[in-house]
Amino acid sequence: MIRIQNIRKVYQRGDSEVHALRGVTCEVAENSFNFVVGPSGSGKSSLLYLIGALDQPTSGDVQIHDRSLSQFSNKQRDEFRRNQIGFVFQSFNLLRNLTALDNVLVPYMPVGISSELRRRAQELLDRVGLKDRMTHRPNHLSGGEQQRVAIARALLKQPQMVLADEPTGELDSATGAEVFGYLRDLHAEQSTTVIVVTHDERYIRDTDRVIALRDGKLAV
Amino acid sequence: MSTFHNCRPFPPATLPLFCLLISRIFPLEAEAMLKFAIRNLFSRPVRSILALLGLTVAIAGMVGLFSVAEGLDSMVNTTFGRIPGLLAMQPGAPVPLFSSLPAEWGEEIEEIEGVSVVNPNIWQRVNLINNEMVVSPPRFLFGADISSRLALKADVYRDDMIAGRYLTLKDQGTRNVVISKPIANEFNLEPGDIFNVNGYDLTVVGIYFCESLLLDVAIILDIDEIRSISRFGPDLVSSFYVETTKEFDDEEMIDRIQRVFVGRDLPAVKFSSQNIDANPIQTVANFFDRALKSFGSDNGKNGGEPEDRPINENNSHPNEANGKATDSEKTSTSESSGMSQPDAINDEEFFPLEVRNANDWAKRFTRFSRDLNIFLAVLTGIGVTIAVLSIVNTMLMSVSERIVEFGILKANGWTKTDVLKLVTFESSLLGLAGGVLGCLFGFLATQFFNHYFPTRAQLYASPELLAFSLAFSILVGVIGGLYPAVWAMRMMPMDAIRRG
Ligand SMILES: Nc1ncnc2c1ncn2[C@@H]1O[C@H](COP(=O)(O)OP(=O)(O)OP(=O)(O)O)[C@@H](O)[C@H]1O
Ligand SMILES: [Mg+2]
Repeated sequence: MIRIQNIRKVYQRGDSEVHALRGVTCEVAENSFNFVVGPSGSGKSSLLYLIGALDQPTSGDVQIHDRSLSQFSNKQRDEFRRNQIGFVFQSFNLLRNLTALDNVLVPYMPVGISSELRRRAQELLDRVGLKDRMTHRPNHLSGGEQQRVAIARALLKQPQMVLADEPTGELDSATGAEVFGYLRDLHAEQSTTVIVVTHDERYIRDTDRVIALRDGKLAV
Repeated sequence: MSTFHNCRPFPPATLPLFCLLISRIFPLEAEAMLKFAIRNLFSRPVRSILALLGLTVAIAGMVGLFSVAEGLDSMVNTTFGRIPGLLAMQPGAPVPLFSSLPAEWGEEIEEIEGVSVVNPNIWQRVNLINNEMVVSPPRFLFGADISSRLALKADVYRDDMIAGRYLTLKDQGTRNVVISKPIANEFNLEPGDIFNVNGYDLTVVGIYFCESLLLDVAIILDIDEIRSISRFGPDLVSSFYVETTKEFDDEEMIDRIQRVFVGRDLPAVKFSSQNIDANPIQTVANFFDRALKSFGSDNGKNGGEPEDRPINENNSHPNEANGKATDSEKTSTSESSGMSQPDAINDEEFFPLEVRNANDWAKRFTRFSRDLNIFLAVLTGIGVTIAVLSIVNTMLMSVSERIVEFGILKANGWTKTDVLKLVTFESSLLGLAGGVLGCLFGFLATQFFNHYFPTRAQLYASPELLAFSLAFSILVGVIGGLYPAVWAMRMMPMDAIRRG
C-alpha cells in the first residue's frame, strides 16, 4: 500500500514560486495498475518522482508499507530506488555508451554484476523480443526497442513498483501498444504495482485505477 | 566470453586485453565500472586523445627534465665514487684548472705518514684542436708525472683503457698522449695518429673511456712536456693527486696534509701566465673563471665545511710567523695575474693548501643539483598545471554533456558517490594512460639524447623517477576529475531528465 498524504511541491524558479502540487492525498493499492492523467503542467511527473524518491516534497509525506520516505536516509533512498523501483521515462532511458544488455544491468554496476544477474537480464531481453539485440547500442535500436530495454531494466530488480512517465509518448500507436502489452504481462506475472503517467487514455482498462490531476490537485 | 563480446565496437586487439587485465586486478564491481569508464572515454576519442596528449607531454617533460638532475647525480657517483685518493689544490680554486701550487710541495706531502703516492698534475685548457676552436664540450690537457702515476693503485684513466696503451716511462719527454674516446670520436683519431692541440703536434698512443662526462675530457701527457707547450713554469703544478695507504681515514689525512703547510705562504709566483694572452675568447673565459671562482669560495664559506675550521684557527697569524711576503706584495701579485686570487689570500686566516676527497666534490655537485631540482620542479609544475587544467576542461565538458545520463543512473539507484567514482575513474584512466605514455616518451627521449649527443650531457631516468611520474600522473587524473564530478552532482540531474 502506498499512501500519499497531503503532498505539496513548490519549485523555485528565479524569484517566483511554482506550485506543482498543492496538497494531494490518495492511496495506491498493492499489485494494482494505475494511471496518472491530466493536462500538461498539472503535476503528474512531479507526483511520480516523489513516489519514486527521486525528489523530496515541500510538505506532506509518501508512505510505502507504512514506512515514511521522508525518514529514509540518503543511502536508504538510493537502495530503495535500486532495488524496489523500476523507472521508465519518455525518452533518455538508456546510456548511449552501453549495450542493451549492460543498460539492463546498469543499476547493479556499482555493487557488482553476478553471472546470475547477467543470465536473468538476458532472459528478460529475450522476453521482450530483443534476443539478438543484446550487444547493440541504443543508437542502433528503434524507439520501441529502447523502451523495451528500459522495461527489461525496470523488471530485472523484480521491483515493488514500476513507475513510467509517458513511456509511449514518442512511439507510434502500434509500438506503444506493444510496450503496454509487456507492462501488462509483467504486472500480471510479477504482481508489481504499476503507475503510468500518460496522455493517451486508450490504454486504460476498466479495472485500472486512474488518478486525475488538475492544477496540482486531484480533479473531482 | 561475454566480456569480450561487449567490447566489440572497439579496436579488436587492445580493448579485450585491457578488459581482461582489469578483470584480473579488480573485484567484480570495480571491473564493471572501469569498463563503463573506458567506454565513455572511447566514445569521445578526439577529446580524450587531446587531454591524453597534454598529459603525456607534461609527464614526458617531467621525466626529461628530472633525468637531467638524475644524470648529474649518477655522473657524480660514477665519477667521484671511483676516485679513492685526495686532491691538494690552491685554496678557493673550484677545480684544479684554476689552481697553482709550488712543485716542491709534492715531496713534502710524500713524506707525511699515511701517504703512499703523490702525483703532481698540470691542467691546461685546450683552445684549438686541429685548428678548430674548442668551446663546448671543454677539453683539457692533463700533464701527469708518469712514474708516480704508474705507481698509483687506482688510476681512473689507466683502468679504463679501451684502445692502444697507457703512458709508460718511455713516454717521458715525448708528446705521446692518451685521449678520451669522445675526443677520439670527434676528431676521428686512433692510436698512432697525430693531431694538433693549441698549435702543437701530439701523437695518440691510447684511448680511454670512463663513461663520465667529467672524466672523459682529457688529453693525458707527461708533465714536463706540458710545460713546454703551455708556459707553465718548472716550479709550478696545478694540483697534487694523493693516494693514501688507507691506514687513516680521509678526514684525518686531509688534516695531516693541511697541517704541514700551516702558516706557509704561497710563493709570489706568476699565476697561470697562459691567462694573460690577449685573446678575446680568453678574456671571456677569464671572466667566467673569476665568476666560478667567487662562486666556489662563497660556497666554501657559507657551507662552513667543518674540517677547515681548526686549521684556520691555528693559522691566525701566518704573516708574523713567516714574515716572508707582505700584504702589498700579495695584492700586487693578484692584480698582475689574469685570475683574481681568492678572497682568503688577504684574509688573516689564510692557509695555502686545500685538500679534498671525492666526497667533498660530490657534495658540491649535490648542492648544485638540489638547486637545479627546485628549478626543474617549477618548470614541471607549469607543465603539469596546464595538463591538469586540460583534464579538468575535458572532464567538465564531458560531464556537462552527460547530466541526463547521470539522472538515469541516479533514478536507477546509483548514489552520488557512485557517479563520482565513475567520473574519477575516467579521469584517472586518462592519468594512467598519460603517465604510461609520458614515461615511455620521456625515457625514449633521454635514450635518444644520450645516444646522439653523448658529449653534451648524460641523462638518466631512474626506475624511481619513472614510477613517481606515473603515480603523479594518475594523481593528476584523479584531481582533474574530482571537481567536474562534484560539479555534476550539484547540477541536479533529475531536473535535466524531466525537462527532456
Ligand atoms: N525543476 C523545476 N523547476 C521549476 N518548475 C518546475 C520544475 N519542474 C516542474 N516544474 C513546474 O511544475 C509544474 C508541474 O510540472 P510537471 O512536470 O509535474 O507537470 P506534468 O503534469 O508532468 O506536465 P507534462 O504533461 O507536460 O509532462 C509545471 O508548471 C512545471 O513547469
Ligand atoms: Mg511530465
